[in-house]
Formats: sequence, structure tokens, C-alpha cells
Amino acid sequence: MPDWRVIARKKLGPLGLEAKRQEEIVLELAGHLEDLYSDALRQGRSHAEALHSAFGAAADWDELRRELQLAANEEVSMNHRVKTLWLPGACTIALSGIVLRLLQNPSAPVPHVLWPWHSTELVIYWWWLLSLPVIGAIGAYWSRHAGGRFLERALAVSLPALGMVCLPLLMFPFVLGYDLIRFHSFPFVPMAVLLLGWGVLPEAALLVGGLPFLRGQSGQVAASH
Amino acid sequence: MKDHTINIGAQVKRGSAELAILSVLSDGPLHGYEISKRIERQSQGLLRFNLASLYPLLYRMEKRGWVSGNWEGPAGGRQRRYYRLGPAGKRRLVPLREEWGQLFQALHTLAGVTHA
Repeated sequence: MPDWRVIARKKLGPLGLEAKRQEEIVLELAGHLEDLYSDALRQGRSHAEALHSAFGAAADWDELRRELQLAANEEVSMNHRVKTLWLPGACTIALSGIVLRLLQNPSAPVPHVLWPWHSTELVIYWWWLLSLPVIGAIGAYWSRHAGGRFLERALAVSLPALGMVCLPLLMFPFVLGYDLIRFHSFPFVPMAVLLLGWGVLPEAALLVGGLPFLRGQSGQVAASH
Repeated sequence: MKDHTINIGAQVKRGSAELAILSVLSDGPLHGYEISKRIERQSQGLLRFNLASLYPLLYRMEKRGWVSGNWEGPAGGRQRRYYRLGPAGKRRLVPLREEWGQLFQALHTLAGVTHA
């Protein structure tokens, strides 16, 4: 039985990797060659034929060395979800936040509506709502261009509204407990106002803009993966 | 023009090889030799890997978190590196299957090409 580890180490030569990693690769390749050789012998082939079969799997050691070096040095690109969901989603959140922050500036002469609804005021920043379709369109287009599927595009569009609703909802158990203890009542109206003003309306506005880009072929095809 | 063609060919090759590896690993962990034999057997000899096409790709897929490799074997016996499908690999397998299905569908429509 040939010493496949010695053969693989000699044929492969230095890969420019740290010694431990290089040895692991040598060990793995040697194991593969040994399996090929043993299988060939089990099938009744002669020693020479079995050797030929094993070496046939690595006819071009230069190519193998080159490919291994390329694989070792290849930068890990951003994964699919980062490209199709988190980056476009972060963009829509940032844009939405910037516009809202500008409109909330007390010195900004931009009108907003305080709609008294029972004991709670529903604040509607009309200009913010009007900007959301554009922001939704940007998020959906970006996600689609990056190869996002329907769900990823829809989530990238919806993240600003989801964030607006989910963050306050994290406080919900505490608010609920406080209100139940203090007022012996459930805060239905404030919750409904919160959901409507910061969830439903913004989500609708974002989806209106994103709708044209939610369907259709993504910007990347199978061959590009 | 020539470079573009070569690039697409290489990408298609790599994409199909990734799909083949992820598919066989979806049945359970395998070491490199088993992966190549399983693919060869299941494709009835149509798809064959050599060392240069299998291991660099496995290492790339490991870097991306699609598969994870661990040395296993009996104490004092031969150690082999077994590859398992990771969560990212499982997620990747679904769209890859869809994309290749669509590609074959398109080729069938275009040129009457059918897959096995």
C-alpha cells in the first residue's frame, strides 16, 4: 500500500497556508486517494490499475494547488440574506427615520395633524407618510436587484413600519401591567392608535411604493450564483 | 465576448456542483470520497468530481457556512472529515433547486432540452 499522505504532500507542495491547515488538506486528499485505490483493488483490479485509478482523480496537481489557494484566499462575500433583506431594510429604516426626524424638528414649519381620538392623540406626519412610498420603492427595488425573493422584498419594504410597532410592543407587557394595576382597565384605545398611526398607515404607504417591485424576476439568475 | 462566455460556463458549472453537493448532504453527513461516489452513482455516472473540482468547492462552501466539516473516526483508527449541511446550506438548497428547475424549463422551451 503506497503512503498516500507522503504522495499527496509531495505532489501538492506548499499552499501558503498555516501548517496545520495545510496538513489537514493533505490528510483529506490522501484519504480520498486511498479510498479510490482500495475500491479499485476490491473491484478486482491489479495494483497498477488501482494506482492509475487513484492518480487519475488528481491528474493535474497544479490545477488542484491553484484551486485550493483560490478557495483559501477567497473573501467570504456577503450572504444572500444580508444583500437582499438587511441592507435594503437598513436603507428603508434609515431614510424613514431621517425624514421623520426632520419633520419632528420643532423649528421645521411642516404641518402635522394631531387627531384627538377619545383620550389619545393620533399624530400623523403627512409629509412623512407621503415620503414612505418612495422609500418603499427604493427598498423593494434594491432587494429585487440583489436577487431577493418576494418575502425578502416585502420584509425589506416593511421593516420601518415593523420597527415602529415592534419596539413599543416590547414595552406592552409593562404598560399593560401598570394600567391594569393603576386604572383596572386595558389600554385598548392607545394601543389601537399606536398600531394605526405607526404601523398600519406607514405599512400601507410603504407597500404602495414597493408594490411594482415585489413581483417579477430578480436581478440575478441562477448562473450568477 | 469570449471572457463572458467562459465566465458563465464556469459559474454554471460551479452552481450545478454546489446543488449536487448540497443535495447529497441533505440525506446525512458524508466524507469527501462518499460525496463524489454518491453524486456519481445518483447521476448514473454523468456527474463526476475529481480532487480539483470537489475539495476547493467544499472549502468554499464551508467558508460560507453552507456545510461544516469535522474529523471523525474510531479512536486509533482512520480519521475522515465528514461534511454536514448547515442551516445556511439548507436555506440555500431550496432556491438553488428552484433556479435550476427554472433554468431547465427555460432551456426546454428554448431548445427542447429536457433534464433526466
